[in-house]
This record gives sequence, structure tokens and C-alpha cells, in this order.
Amino acid sequence: MRLLRGVYEGPGSHGILRVAASMRGVHAVLRALPGEGYFPALYGARERSGEAAPVSLSPVLEQPEDSWGPGDLTRDLSSVVRRHPETEAVILARSEAALLSEEEVPEISLPPRGGRSPRLVTCDWEAPGVGEVEAADLALEDLIRAHCRGRHQRSPFPTVNLFGPPVFGPGAAAEYAEAERLLTLIGVGVNARIPLGASVGDLGRLSQAWVNVLLYREVGESATLYLQDEFGTQRVTTPMVGAAGTGAALRTIGELCQLDPKRVQQAVWAELARTAKLPWYARLGKPETFRDRRVAIFGDFTYPLGLGYALSREVGLEVAACGTYLGHLERDFLFHAHTFTDQAFVEDDPEEVAARIEASDPDLVVGTHLEEGVADSLDIPFLPLCPPTDHSPFVERPLMGYAGSSVLADALDGVLGPPEEEPEAAEVTGIPWADEAREELAEIPPFLRGRARRLAEERARELGSPDVTREIFLESRR
Amino acid sequence: MVVGTRAEAHIAHSLPAAPAPDLPRIAGSTRVAFVVLDPAETPQQGRVATRVIEAAAGLRGTGFVLLVVGRSAELLGVDADFEARLVQRRLDLPAEVVNPDAPYEAPGTLSTDLEDRALAALVGVCPKRRTSELLETASPAKRLHRFSGFLGRGRDEVRAGRTRPVVLLGGLASPGAAGELALDLERVGVEVVGRVPGTGMKELPALGEGTVVAVMDPNLTAAARAAEERGARVVRTLTPVGVDGTARFIHDVAAEAGAKANELARARSVWEGIEPLRNRVRGKRIFFAGDTGLEVPLARFLADAGAVVLEVGAPRLDRRSLAIELQALGPDVDVVQSPDWRGQLGRIDAARPDVVVASPGLHVPLVARGHLCRSPQDFLDAGVHGYEGARRILELLARTFERAEALDSVNL
Repeated sequence: MRLLRGVYEGPGSHGILRVAASMRGVHAVLRALPGEGYFPALYGARERSGEAAPVSLSPVLEQPEDSWGPGDLTRDLSSVVRRHPETEAVILARSEAALLSEEEVPEISLPPRGGRSPRLVTCDWEAPGVGEVEAADLALEDLIRAHCRGRHQRSPFPTVNLFGPPVFGPGAAAEYAEAERLLTLIGVGVNARIPLGASVGDLGRLSQAWVNVLLYREVGESATLYLQDEFGTQRVTTPMVGAAGTGAALRTIGELCQLDPKRVQQAVWAELARTAKLPWYARLGKPETFRDRRVAIFGDFTYPLGLGYALSREVGLEVAACGTYLGHLERDFLFHAHTFTDQAFVEDDPEEVAARIEASDPDLVVGTHLEEGVADSLDIPFLPLCPPTDHSPFVERPLMGYAGSSVLADALDGVLGPPEEEPEAAEVTGIPWADEAREELAEIPPFLRGRARRLAEERARELGSPDVTREIFLESRR
Repeated sequence: MVVGTRAEAHIAHSLPAAPAPDLPRIAGSTRVAFVVLDPAETPQQGRVATRVIEAAAGLRGTGFVLLVVGRSAELLGVDADFEARLVQRRLDLPAEVVNPDAPYEAPGTLSTDLEDRALAALVGVCPKRRTSELLETASPAKRLHRFSGFLGRGRDEVRAGRTRPVVLLGGLASPGAAGELALDLERVGVEVVGRVPGTGMKELPALGEGTVVAVMDPNLTAAARAAEERGARVVRTLTPVGVDGTARFIHDVAAEAGAKANELARARSVWEGIEPLRNRVRGKRIFFAGDTGLEVPLARFLADAGAVVLEVGAPRLDRRSLAIELQALGPDVDVVQSPDWRGQLGRIDAARPDVVVASPGLHVPLVARGHLCRSPQDFLDAGVHGYEGARRILELLARTFERAEALDSVNL
């Protein structure tokens, strides 16, 4: 049991719904309390695509058994197939309340539709503690297992499967588009994009591809490992963030597709000259802008690792802290993060994260929308580049690939000015704190502490007091 | 304090908008904290209370603890009432429990259900009226009962004495409108002593026997019942939305409080004042796909104002609390309980209304199909209650049509 002021991840059912809503022909049935069917509303507000979410609610209601009214799971599942003739696969997600009530999933065979009956995927691994991202990963694997039958002939020319972010990922569609653009430049086709925009038919043809490219490893790890075991398809897992990461990924793909390394390198050089602006930004900026500037990064898996690598190596910032909220990827994350920082951590309590960031004394915070408050109270710039973010722009911009590196350069250019000579800074540290005031400050939740400290010191300066006393501190909190 | 699994915390976090513009956002607010239970942990009584006390100690000025404990916490073995009692004893603050998943008598889930239950909990912690106060107002009332039988002029008796204090209940989403309504009530000689929810714990009005409670939202059934259980008189009347609704509301509340109000003249002058705006919506066809629970009163007013209401959908229709509203709406409008939203999409496509009032799930799909949409939240934000609220409703619709016409005239 923990006391939190927010969560980074939703429940497992939310992850399953995100994967299902990303794909065409997949309909999700959410088994949940009547008040938990908020996904369509969220989808409408976040995606703004004009499509209705392919999600139906099967409410857990207290009613006599075999009534066949709404709420009976068997009836709800078959009615989905009847009402949505385009459905090729049905996936069942259960909310935590439904899982905790321990009701049995009945044996169901879906009614046939035009000679073929849609497949039902039930996600047996679901348990109350599973988080959104892990559930999305496992649900994608289950969907692929259910539909990927039989080995196909490898495509005549090199193709890859792109495993990218599902819906609600920031700029998800743009990430796929940028990756596909770069692959075309080196002469590799895209066999399927999974899961965003994929059809059920695409899932059956995955074994045609030569290589699986993991853009977003959080969702796709299990699925690509399954494909590797089953068909021997190799994986490329390098995060395509920053110019160096993108180049490394492209070269690996070229190697695995037996392309001419010269041709790949030419394409990379051409892109470096035309599209990728991050190396340019790093060269054009004054060394003083970057020297001893510390950045704290927090997010999921791919983005903090990719950004951490790009910011430390390509831009030359010092990564003062780099963390993830995905506990189930802890080992992998720490292994990769230690290549560019000593301060890697795994934490899913926003207050603890805020404390870690504050302790690392950064000049810039890159994080999810929950980190905005910390940056605000430390009075330093903030870039919301890691999911979950709470804005959904109309123009999606990639963060991956060469175009993404330019987006990153723009973002950095906006917030990293030349180091200011802070006349205030000396004054701020100059004000000593009385012991009682310090004790009061310690009682404040960590995520508010920075702001409270600044306010108290400001107040003390206004009053012309030599130190921050308990009274001044309490007054500043009014 | 939201007690539950990750799911509850996530819902509260992903809600797109705060209920009112001047209220703090839930995400990142320091006044809402989540106790996230670990399903693998064995339940232990009193642990939730310990966490709540910890959180409350870190925040200065906490005056009331509201525990939101849903089904999953129950299934994980949390005894909510016990924890609340413990919090109450240890912090010496009022603590109440709200169960968001408890079913209502009429099936269906409204987005305002939690609001209703939280208000019911707040009614429970309003100060009781002191006995001396009670005697002062009760004595003329008692005399009234004794004599009214054969004198037949009980109302005048009360008017000669003091009127009963009135408490406004609800209207969370349009705080400004509630203030206007209070002014209107005071104009006819009714004393409005406060609002639930007020702006702070200290501002909660005394509520008990002899108090008149005026409900601003027909779906606040639990809160109204809580007030009744404390001995307050709850006025059953139209919701103060629209001109006639407000007039009837003021009239009935004033009558219950012991004052006399003739709102006919006022209503007529307001109708005259909004005549130009009425012309803008007259004959427009409106479809309420809705979810705020104020659809029925809104539809009633717009029908009076000359618009054609095609259908009113609501996730739950509590026929007892909405009886008066449904009667006022009349038999010519389809009222659909817990509509299937895909069916609604089909009916909207077939009817091609001039404007659809649709919640976020339908809003974008409908706009994509070329329908003109307004979100019910827009109405609430503008403040729908009272006479001025009536004007704002019409202005909002007129603006909607104006903008749509301007955009339609662009040659793309």
C-alpha cells in the first residue's frame, strides 16, 4: 500500500485497450464496473481522429445468472460480433475490480461471420498488479500468437516489421512515418507496422519480414522475442533517438538485410547533411552553453534511454539522473542507462521521482507531464518529451529518426540559453535557515518543498530578515 | 483520498477537464492523494488510516477528509467505515466515506454520481443548527400548524415572522450562476445562508431541522436524501435552468421558506429581454446525446424557447427525482434512458439535427461526420442556472450557429 499523488501507468486493462484501439479489425470487450468504461471518451478527446473507439463495455452488474441481459459476458461477446461485422478478432480485457471479484471466464465460441468466426483472445495472464505497459506488451504478443500461423516465404526484397508505440503515444504516427521514410532511403521496405494501424491480416504476414525493428521496445518486446523463437527473425532494438542512435540502427538493419554498407552510409550522410539538425545544433552552440549543464531525464524506457544517450554524447550535457517508472524492465534499463550516467534509477512514485530530480540539482528536466511541477518549483526549464504527456497536438512531430533529432534540437534551443550569471543565486544561498524553520520545511511533502523554500526565502528578503525563521516560513505558506 | 488500485488513480488523472474553471485540477493537485493498494499484500485494518493521517499531517489547513473507497478496495479487504472512524479519532477532523461504485436504485452511471455522493458526505458534516436558533424559527412555524387548520392563513403568519434559512445544494460546475441565484432569492426576501459545497469547510452553512434545501441539479438524489435525513425540508421543484424553471424554483423555494414571491412579471420581462436571442434558436433542431444529467432541464428550456428537441438521452433517469422535469418537458420529445451510443450515432445521422450536445466520446466522431457539436461541459462552464443562465444558454447556442455559418461560408 502506498500513498501517491499520481500514477504514471494505468491499469492493465487500459494497456490492452490501447493496443486493441491501435489496430484495425480488433474489437475489445472491457469487463468492468459500469463507471469504468471511460476509454471511448478518453480516446475521443485524445486522438481526435473522428473514429469511435472499438471498445465495448460488459458491465459487472449484480443480477441473477443466465438472465442474458447486458452484463452477461457470453451475450456481450457474441453481440459485439453481431453488431460489428468488420470485427476479425475480439480481445477481452478485465478491469482490476473485475479481476478481484474472481469471476470465471466462461468457455465461449464466437458466432461465425461469413464462414469464418473471429478469434477470441482472453489474456489469461491478466492479474490485478500488472501495469499498463506490460499488459500492452503481453496483449500484443497474444494477438500475434493467435493470428500468426504457418511460415511464409521471406519477401523477395528486404522488408522489416516496425514495432512502434500504440495510440496515445506522443506523436506515435509520426514516429512510424519517420522510420519508414528512413528505411525507404536505404532501400528497405516495411512489411507491417505493429500495432498502430495494423490489420489482423498484417499479423498473419509477420514472418515475411527479414528483420523486426523495435522502435518502442516497451510494447513489442515479447512479440518480437516470440517471432525470433518461432521464425528466427532477428531484432534491432537500438533506440532511434538522436542522430547517432538512428545511424546505428540503420547500419544494423542494413547489415541484417545484407545491404551494401556503402549505400547505407551514403544515405546516412545525405540525411546528416539535409535533415538531421542535432549535430549541427551541437556544433553551432557555444561550448559554454553546454558545459556543466545538468539534465534529469525521467520516463518510460525507449525515450529516456534514447534521449539520455543523445543528450550526453551528441549534445554534451551531463545526465545528472535518468529514471524509468517501468519496474518490470529494471535490469535492462539500468544496464543501458549506466552507459551514460551513474545516477540511473527505477521509481514509480512521483514524489520520490521529484525528490531524486531535486537532489540531482539539474539545469533542465526532461520528463512526463507529472514532472512539470518539480521543474516549476526548481524554476528550471522543462521538456515534456516522455510519455505519458497530457497534450495531443494536431501536428504530430516525431522524436525518433533524423527529423526527430531536429525536433529535439529545436526544443533544446528553446530552453538552453547561455548560462546566466545569476545575481539572485548568491543571495538565495546567502539566507540561512533557523532550525525550527528547517524542521517545518522537512514536514512538507517533497514535491512541494522546493517551491516552499523559495517562497520563504523571498519573503525573508522582502522583510529584510537576516534568516528564515519559523514565523516567516509559516507566513509565506499562507 | 482515493483508496483503490492503480485503476482509480488513473481515472482521476486522465479526466480531461476539471469540473469548474476556478477549481484546482485533479492531476497534480496537492489536495487529492491516492492510496494505491497492492493486490498481493494481506489486508491489515488501520493501515489505510495511517497513510491518510500521514498525508493530512503534511498539508496545512486540512479541515475534512473524504475517503473515496470503491469496489476493488472492498474486495481487497479494506473496511472503509472502520478506517474513517480511525482517521476521525486520530486527526480530530470529520472524515466521511464515499463509495463510487454503489449502485443507484435506477440503473445507470452518471458522470455526476461521485459529485452527488461527495455532496451527501458534505451535508453530513455541515454544522447542526443550534437549538436556540431552531426555537426562534420553529416557534412561528409551530403556531402556524396549530392555527392554520381553522384560520387558513398560515403563510401570512410565517411571513410576519422570519423566513426559514435556505441552503443551496449543488451547482458545483457553475459557481457564478449559484451566486446570481442566491441574489435572486434574497430579492424576494429569502435568506440564503450558504451553499453546499461552499468555498471552504468553515463556510459550510448550518443545516438541519427548519432549514430549507434548494437543489440545483435533479440528479443529486443521495445528497438531497442526506439533507432530508437531517430534518431539512428539500424543495421538490423544477431545476433552476431556463426562465420558467428559475421562476418556478424561486417561487417554490420562497413558499417553502415562508416568503411570497410573484415571479410572473419577472419571468415575462426576462423572456422579453431574450427575445432577439430566441429568434436565433427558434426552429433549430437539437439532439441531446448527453451525460451531464442536466439534459432534461436544458431541453425543457430550449423547447420553451422555440427550438425543436429531437431526443434527450441520459445514462440514468431517476423517474422520481425527474418526474416534474419530465412532465414539464411534455410528451413530444423522445427521452432515452442509457442509450446505446452506436444506435445514437445512427439516429443522429438519420435526423441531421442542427446541433448535437454530445459528451467527449461522441463529440469527435460526430464532428467528423459533419455534425455541429457542443459539449455539455461548455454549458456548465458558462453557468446555466438562473435567469442570466438562460440568456447565457441562448447566447452560447447563437455563437455556435454564428461560428458554424462563418466556417461554412469559407471556400476550402
